[in-house]
Amino acid sequence: MHIPDGILPAAVSVAGYATAGAATWHSLRKINQKEDPRESIPKASLLTAAFFVASWIHIPVPPTSVHLVLNGLLGAVLGYYAFPAILIGLFFQAVMFQHGGLTTLGVNATMMGVPALLAYFVFRLRSVVGKESRVWTGVFGFLAGAGGLGISVLISLVLLITTVPPHLDVEAERASIYALTLAHVPLIALEGVFTALVALFLQRVRPELLED
Amino acid sequence: MNLGLDEYVHLDSPLHRWEPRCKLVGLMVLVFVFSFVQDLRLLPAMLAVTFTLYVVSRLPVSFLLTRLRAPGFFLLVVAILLPFFSGSTVLLRIGPLALRQEGCLDLLLVVAKFVSILTTGLVLFGTAPFLTTIKAMGALGLPSILSDMTLLSYRYLYEISDDLETMETAMALRGFRARRLNGRTLGVLASLAGSILVRSYEQSERVYKAMVLRGYGRSSRPRDDYQARSHDVIILGGVLILAAGFVVAEILLRGFGR
Repeated sequence: MHIPDGILPAAVSVAGYATAGAATWHSLRKINQKEDPRESIPKASLLTAAFFVASWIHIPVPPTSVHLVLNGLLGAVLGYYAFPAILIGLFFQAVMFQHGGLTTLGVNATMMGVPALLAYFVFRLRSVVGKESRVWTGVFGFLAGAGGLGISVLISLVLLITTVPPHLDVEAERASIYALTLAHVPLIALEGVFTALVALFLQRVRPELLED
Repeated sequence: MNLGLDEYVHLDSPLHRWEPRCKLVGLMVLVFVFSFVQDLRLLPAMLAVTFTLYVVSRLPVSFLLTRLRAPGFFLLVVAILLPFFSGSTVLLRIGPLALRQEGCLDLLLVVAKFVSILTTGLVLFGTAPFLTTIKAMGALGLPSILSDMTLLSYRYLYEISDDLETMETAMALRGFRARRLNGRTLGVLASLAGSILVRSYEQSERVYKAMVLRGYGRSSRPRDDYQARSHDVIILGGVLILAAGFVVAEILLRGFGR
């Protein structure tokens, strides 16, 4: 999911930084409109670290295990802080574990952060149908989780396949995008179910974490 | 838990002594210029610059090797796919598979760029304490919300990961084994993730109160006094000229290539 250094053309990396910069600017503007933006910084920071740590939890999928991305859940819980949080999380991953990369930080942040913001908007629709209902929390949790990861997967595959092998023909490109997206469907569903379960847990234990 | 980034910041080398802001600008420009390189003839020069930097930084080779191992998987996939699927000039046929020249050259380019960028990044973040580098980013204009969030999450990352470890041990002691994928396993793991979130949320409320008591958000914070001396700027100038050299060479070579 994290595109490493050296793979993408420089123009794509720069464009990634531009979109990530725009999304960060928009998020910070929304955050600064709050009464005391500093109040939520510790909350957002610790949750950023917590999400980073929670993504290390391995889900057994015999014969192997997978770890989740949780960008949909991150959007649902952090709202506009989701984009800075993802940017920071990916920065840590790039410099500490060499997952992703410095030049591709912008691309990766856009790829995971924009779907997280979309997941936030989707999850917020919950209040239209009734916040207290556990069924709707589950449904919108699933939509946020599955949608967040699904869009990220789609963006990353389109980017990788259209830019990386410069000598690949268009038909092969299209076919491999379809095939690889289909291959990710079980993971997307798993992410959706897991997000729904965590959302239900939070609603039961600490409902204010799911408020705006 | 130690993530090992600050392991070798105590060493003494010209790169350790280089002023953090100049180092950040110089090496980030270099990293982007490396990602701009598309001409194979520039690869030896690029690798030479990278390894000179690494040797000058006095970081041990084992540090680099362990760091290169982690992202090797993705590279492996590219290494398997590119030579067989990209390009039209067939070098060698193995049954239904054809080894293609363009794919092999693409692979060479990807690997060389990957190694150069990663090594330069390691030199950047391995030769100064992480906090110093983040403060240097703040001094260069990173919004304060971002630098505060980065520093705070870095501060609590270790604690929260210890929390996770403790909780996983407790779960194992009570007989939980995540072997099969079923509703129960998923439910337990979701509660684990949820507990991590709730615990850090509750901790953040205490952290915020403690920070306010110490005056957080009241006055503008003291400026970090970084002082670039003349030789810091001269080194920065040298690195920027080198980077410009790569860009010019790349453009010229592309022109000749046509």
